[in-house]
Amino acid sequence: MRIIKLNNQIKKRFIFLIIIFACFSTSIFLIGYSLKDQIAYFVEPTDLKSMDGIENKYLRVGGLVKTNSLKFLDGKWIFEVVDQNQNSVNVVFSKTLPNLVEENKGIIVEGKFIDNIFVAEIVLAKHDENYMPQSAIDKLKEEGKWRGN
Amino acid sequence: MFAITPNILSNFMISLSRYVILLSLVLISFSIFLIIFLENDYYQGISFKIMFIHVPTAWLSLAIFLVMGISSIIGLIFKSPTAFTVARSLSPIGLIMSIIVLVTGSIWGNLTWGSYWVWDARLTSMLILAFIYLGHILLLYSFEHFQKADFAASILAIIGLVNLPIVKFSVDWWTTLHQESSVLRMGGPSMTNDYLITLLVSFFGIFMLTIFWFSNIFYIIVEKRKIERSKLLND
Repeated sequence: MRIIKLNNQIKKRFIFLIIIFACFSTSIFLIGYSLKDQIAYFVEPTDLKSMDGIENKYLRVGGLVKTNSLKFLDGKWIFEVVDQNQNSVNVVFSKTLPNLVEENKGIIVEGKFIDNIFVAEIVLAKHDENYMPQSAIDKLKEEGKWRGN
Repeated sequence: MFAITPNILSNFMISLSRYVILLSLVLISFSIFLIIFLENDYYQGISFKIMFIHVPTAWLSLAIFLVMGISSIIGLIFKSPTAFTVARSLSPIGLIMSIIVLVTGSIWGNLTWGSYWVWDARLTSMLILAFIYLGHILLLYSFEHFQKADFAASILAIIGLVNLPIVKFSVDWWTTLHQESSVLRMGGPSMTNDYLITLLVSFFGIFMLTIFWFSNIFYIIVEKRKIERSKLLND
């Protein structure tokens, strides 16, 4: 008899916990889903095409620095941020760039569009999840498998 | 199954702890040796080596919370004092781990991204995890009777379980400054084998250290309760 009684109590507690957990995770899911544009840290140049009223709006744009576009002119850095769909944004930046900003590497620029040119106030380098030594890259290059720059 | 009293588990863990700390010291010194002689990353240079502290502690801070949450569930459902005590002794370790993750991460971030802190999804959810650990500890010490404290804290731990998938998958669900997972991901690890082996050696070293630390905290809690009980009996 005692075992049956205990099982009932355990079942009640179990259901109680499942209800708490389900309510809480559903509410977190709803919050996360409805705020997904705000939680996203940056937009890609392709996303900008479908957004309206981007002029004079504070934005973060992320992508790769386009090959052969990084230049230093009149005390300003000028480069293009490009994404996988080859849409790009022209960026001007007048402070020091982070060390890891290189062509064909990830970047996030923070600032505003003024006359279709993105005037960046903050620039962050975004590195990817691949780690390898130079020797491994040399080996890949020898085999002709290296796809980077 | 629940014949494992806190006493039995404490004695078992303490009897193992000398081997565990020995293994941990061997693994950690071996991993330091490996890290020193490892070739630098082609892009980030020497700064990527902070990964060998950052990533193991990040895994452990998530894993500790998972164990804490599961033992809180077992504790609440089966009224098991052992499970409650496991959760109670894990939260300070988890807090320290998540603080190490945040500090090493912000040093690494400053060296590579060019910023100590940004409010992207991964960093923010990790900060929330550290605050849940802190809240768990505060709840444990804000009640007069430890049974009440265990009840309240275990509810927090179970609710906090919702945050774990958010921390893990934040880099996949939203765009973040933080890079995506390198090891636990679809398509296998995205680093060369020498880096991966160093990372795993470092992880198991810190993992063994965590087990040693856990068994000591567990032992202290059990012994303290024994002393309090004998005091009550003597009064």
